Amino acid sequence: MIFSKKKNPVDLIFSFITSVASISVILITAGILYVLFTESSLSIEKFGFFKFLTLVDWDPVKESFGAAAALYGTLITTVLALIFAIPVAVGIAIFVTEVAPNFLKGPVGIAIELLAAIPSIIYGMWGLFTLAPIMAKYIEPFLQKTIGKLPLVGILFEGTPLGIDLLTASMILGIMIIPFTASISRDAFNLTPAVVKESAYAVGATKWEVVKDVVLPYSKLGVFGGVAISLGRALGETMAVAFVLGNNNQITTSLLDAAATVTVKLANEFTEADKDIYLSSLYYLALLLFVMSFIVLAIAKFLILKAERRSNR
Amino acid sequence: MRRENFRVIQSRIAFILSTLTALFGIFWLVFIIGDILIHGIGALNIDLFIKDPAPAGVEGGGLRNAFVGHLMITLFATLIGVPVGVLGGTFLAEYARGKKIARLISILSDIMVSVPAIVVGTFVYAIIVKPLGHFSGWAGAVALAMIMIPVVLRTTEDMLSLVSWTVREAAFALGAPYYKVIIQVVYRGAATGILTGILLSIARVTGEAAPLLFTAFNNSFFSTNMNEPVASLTVSIFQYAMGPYDIWHTQAWAASLMITLFILIITILGRLIIKWRYKK
Repeated sequence: MIFSKKKNPVDLIFSFITSVASISVILITAGILYVLFTESSLSIEKFGFFKFLTLVDWDPVKESFGAAAALYGTLITTVLALIFAIPVAVGIAIFVTEVAPNFLKGPVGIAIELLAAIPSIIYGMWGLFTLAPIMAKYIEPFLQKTIGKLPLVGILFEGTPLGIDLLTASMILGIMIIPFTASISRDAFNLTPAVVKESAYAVGATKWEVVKDVVLPYSKLGVFGGVAISLGRALGETMAVAFVLGNNNQITTSLLDAAATVTVKLANEFTEADKDIYLSSLYYLALLLFVMSFIVLAIAKFLILKAERRSNR
Repeated sequence: MRRENFRVIQSRIAFILSTLTALFGIFWLVFIIGDILIHGIGALNIDLFIKDPAPAGVEGGGLRNAFVGHLMITLFATLIGVPVGVLGGTFLAEYARGKKIARLISILSDIMVSVPAIVVGTFVYAIIVKPLGHFSGWAGAVALAMIMIPVVLRTTEDMLSLVSWTVREAAFALGAPYYKVIIQVVYRGAATGILTGILLSIARVTGEAAPLLFTAFNNSFFSTNMNEPVASLTVSIFQYAMGPYDIWHTQAWAASLMITLFILIITILGRLIIKWRYKK
C-alpha cells in the first residue's frame, strides 16, 4: 500500500494473492515458450534452423520434416487476406468516423463488432459449405477467364477450380480480420484532434481532403498498429482456414491449389503423430508460429501505444 | 470555379466508395448469419438436445453429449479463469498502480489476448495430457482458462482504473484498510464493467475449437467425467462438417446455429449494459 506505513496482515495476504494472479500471465507466456522449446528440441537437433525453414519435405515415413511448405501457406494466406481486408477496413473506419450520419454510426459500429464476435469455426464451416462452392462455380472460373489469361499473372490461376484452395482460405481470413482492422483504425481516426480538422475545413478543404491530408497522416501509426494486430491474428488463425485449405503439403504457384499452413498442419496431424520426431517437428512448427505472432503483436502494441502517447501530449 | 467543382466531386466519390465498403462489410455479416439461420433452423429438432450421437452414418441421434460437455468445459474454464483474471487485474490497478511491473504485465496480456489459440492447445497437451497419459475435460478447461485470463485481467484493470481515486480516499479517511476499500468500495463501483468483461470473455472462449482439439479431444458417448475426454460443440462441428455423412452436416449446422446465437446474444447484451451504464 502506498500511503500507510502500518500494514494490515489481511492486506498483505490479499496483495500477495493478487500479485500471484497477475504474475500468472508472465508464467503462462514463459511456460509456453519453454515447453514448446523443450518439446521441439529433438527436431531442432536433427534439422537445425535453416534446414528446417527451407526443407519442403513433410514425410512421416522417411522421418524427414521441413517447415517450408507450411510457412509458405501461412505467408500467402496472410498476405492475401491483408490485401483484401485493409482497403475495406479503412473504408469502413472512414465511413463510421467521417461520413455516416450520427444515427448510423452506432448500428454500423455494432454490426462490425458482431462480425468480429462470430467464432472462427463458424467462418470455417460457412466457408466450406457456402463460399467454397460459390468460388469453384462462379468466381474462380471467372478469374481464370479474365486475369488468368494475362501473361505472368496467369500462373496464379492455373488448375481446376475446386474451391478448396489458397484463394478461398485467404478470402475467409480476410473477411475475418476486417473488423479488427476497422475498429482499431476507427479508434485511431478518433484520436485526431477536432481543432486540427476544423482548421483544415476553415481554409476551404473538402471532407475528403481533410481525411486524406489531415486524419490519415495524423493517425497512420494507429492504423499500422491495427494492421499489425490483424496480421498477428491471421498468422495464428486455425479453424477458419482448416476447413478450406485441404492440408496439402506443397509449395504451389497457383492460388487455386490446396495447400497447408502451420495451424492447419497442427490441427490435422497433432493427435496422429505416432513418432517422437514427428510430434517434435509439429512442436517446432508451433514454436515458430508462437515466436512469429508474438513479435508481430508486440510491434502492433508498440505502434498503438506510440500513437496514443502522441495524441495525449 | 471548375477546380472547386472537381474537388467537391472527388470528395463525393471518395465517400461513396467508403459507404460501399461499409455495405460490403455488413453484406458478409448478413450473408454468414443468414446462411447459418437458414441451414440451422431447418436442422433443429428436439433429438439434438436429448439424444447422444447415433453410430456413424446412421440417421437420427443428437448432440446431447457435446452440449453438456461444452457447458462443463466452459463452466470450469470460467471458474478457473475469472478469479485469476479479476485478482490479477486488481493487482495491476491497485497495489501495483503506476509501477513498471504493472505496465509490463498489462502489455504482455494485450499481446497474449491475440496469441494463436492452437499454440495454447499444444502447451496444455505437453503439461497436462502427456503426463497424465490421456485427454481430459480438465485439460480443455485449463486451456480455455489460459485464453480467458488475459482478457478478464485487462478489462478488470481498465474498469478499476475508471473508479475515481477520490472514492478510495474517502474510504481511507474512514480508516479502512486497502483490501476492504477494494472489495467493498472499488469492486462495487466497477462491478457492472467487470461483469460485462466476464460475459464477453465467456462469449469469446465458447467459440474456441483449436485449443480443445488436443486437450478435451472428443467423445462420442455421454460423459460428465472431467477426467475423461469430453465432447464439445466446436470440436464436434469440426469433425461433423469434415465428415462424409449428410446427417453429420445437418447436425453441424444446428450446433453452429446454437453457438452463434449464444455468442451474438451475449455480445449484444454486453454492449447494451455498457451503453446503459456508461451513457454519459
